[in-house]
Amino acid sequence: MSQNIKILPGATVCEDCTLEGDITIGGGTVIHPRVTIIAEGGPIIISEYCIIEEYATIIHKKAETQETPPKPLFIGAHNVFEVACKLESFFGHIGESNVFECRSFVGSDVKIGSGCVIGAACQLTVPQTLADNTVIWGSEHHNREALEKQPTQLLQLDFLSKVMPNYHRLRKPNIHKRLPSRPSQDTAK
Amino acid sequence: MAYLTQPDYVKYICSCGQLKPITNLYFCRHCLKIRCGFCICHEVDSHYCANCLENMPSSEARLKKNRCSSCFACPSCFHTLSTRATLARDPAGGDGKPPKKMYYLSCFNCRWTSRDVGIPDQPVASGGWPERTNPFTTRFNQLLDYYKAIAQQEKQEKLDKERKKFVTRGKYINLTDKTGLTGAMARNIAGLPSSESSSSVISNFVPSQASPDVEELPDDYHLKEIDLKQITRISQRTSCPELQPSLASRLSPRPRALCVKRSQRCRACDHNLTKPEYNPGSVKFKIELLAYYHVPEVKIISYETIKPGGTSALLLKLSNPTAHEMTVKMLQPEDVPDQEDEHKTIEKTLEKSLNLEKDISWNASFPRRPPPPNAGSVNLPAVSLTLAQRDDAAEYDDEPPGDNDDIILWRKSNKLALRLKLTTDAQAKVGSNAYFSFALQYSYRNTVPPSATVVQHSDHTLYTTLILDLGKVCE
Ligand SMILES: [Zn+2]
Ligand SMILES: [Zn+2]
Ligand SMILES: [Zn+2]
Ligand SMILES: [Zn+2]
Repeated sequence: MSQNIKILPGATVCEDCTLEGDITIGGGTVIHPRVTIIAEGGPIIISEYCIIEEYATIIHKKAETQETPPKPLFIGAHNVFEVACKLESFFGHIGESNVFECRSFVGSDVKIGSGCVIGAACQLTVPQTLADNTVIWGSEHHNREALEKQPTQLLQLDFLSKVMPNYHRLRKPNIHKRLPSRPSQDTAK
Repeated sequence: MAYLTQPDYVKYICSCGQLKPITNLYFCRHCLKIRCGFCICHEVDSHYCANCLENMPSSEARLKKNRCSSCFACPSCFHTLSTRATLARDPAGGDGKPPKKMYYLSCFNCRWTSRDVGIPDQPVASGGWPERTNPFTTRFNQLLDYYKAIAQQEKQEKLDKERKKFVTRGKYINLTDKTGLTGAMARNIAGLPSSESSSSVISNFVPSQASPDVEELPDDYHLKEIDLKQITRISQRTSCPELQPSLASRLSPRPRALCVKRSQRCRACDHNLTKPEYNPGSVKFKIELLAYYHVPEVKIISYETIKPGGTSALLLKLSNPTAHEMTVKMLQPEDVPDQEDEHKTIEKTLEKSLNLEKDISWNASFPRRPPPPNAGSVNLPAVSLTLAQRDDAAEYDDEPPGDNDDIILWRKSNKLALRLKLTTDAQAKVGSNAYFSFALQYSYRNTVPPSATVVQHSDHTLYTTLILDLGKVCE
């Protein structure tokens, strides 16, 4: 697999993680150590201001009918991937401001809108589409619709990007572009 | 042996016949019997809120309908709600005024917020949350008054009857004859409602009536597509019985239900088995007579596969939790001497004759379920084994495991590993549960004197029967 990791300025990416294939990491995104991101079926594009915590796994799966050139898996801004969650997906688009809680699993063929919460240890394996602001929780996979998107984690991102360099070796940004524009949800500041 | 997430492999037979792991059993030092949650008396000691740890007496708890006044539960998933703060911007354009802090309730489990149902944010963290009023408050109060009046009337009638009996029997002067004080006056002085008003409550009471007129269902009732996210689940409705919201938008935060601290009492002798400390923040006990501290504990180390008609080895670990040396002997369950004298001895006691409410006939009325059939038998050694007393310091000694012979695998401090042989019945069905049972005879030194006059310790020989779950019978 060809290695092509693009890290935009402002991203905090720990060295101790597995990144394979064609991956683009947006500015402001924080990737903790021990994260696994594998782009085997095509490029993975992670937008700005995402948090990907320890032992989280994101895999762009190879589809049976592979298109050429392979289509990317696009992950929107402000997504939070909590400890040991797993996302397996074909090409497609994952919205913004989603939370994948600890040990949750999202299988391929699950389409996720924006503002969704996949609760701790919830397993989504059947092909389905989650409408915007869907919250799934508990062992019985109860779901409900939230009124508004989950609040952004900008304070946490700020803290992490300050603290991480003190304790971990980081991968250096290798793309020099203009800084990503500040996101529209900048209300919590 | 008990686990949090695995089945219980070693179960003890309680004196009431229930099978429980040792961690779920109690040991009454006065009856010298194993007791379990099923055969003891549970008493409520105190009410407290598990979230804010506020303690309150039961009368106050009843007044607050057993709910905490400052904590709320999520109406959607019943988790405790947390208060979150936001900075509210002045909608009329800030005139340099600092943004005000506003608070709302939010659930960290299902992410429900008080904003979801349109409850406005509050300027103070501690609450002032709007409460939905119960539409049936007046009817509730009517019913309450009615039943109170009936209770009052019945009490009065009973009193009158007793007084009549009293009057006919003797020629004593009652209070009215002596002082001219009538019953109504006395009630008035005592601040009780007069009997006239209670009778008026009873006569004015209107019983609820069934009406033949039922509201028509809307025309699109069967045609409208249901959005499951908009309607509530049964558990969400029943968590709020007075309102029973059918729409998710009508959910409102519920005051959190209180928890209780319980103490447990032996039903046969009325002694406390456990008594927790009063402070809700403490998890310690003032009295803690758990079987785990008094009865030898048996753990399975390993065993060979159980095959019909075959023999397999079984390694067990025995430990003595008491502070006294213990002699243990293994018996077949049928060799345990019958100890069914419990009912007779208790009936004889004076306690029984004094306390009529205490009735242990329940114990006899529950037929004892026979323990599950054994898949075979354990070949037990006919020797007595001595277990040293528990010594917490011995944990740190690096003393090598002591003497061993063909039965004792090793011996260390108060623990002992045994090598036993199992004989499985030739008829045992493949795939059935492999249960094996045996009994333990153990010596027990009771350090609690039976009465203040007798100070010496007393030694007892006690029995307990265990059932081992060794998986399934294999081919
Ligand atoms: Zn007792
Ligand atoms: Zn019992
Ligand atoms: Zn409370
Ligand atoms: Zn909730």
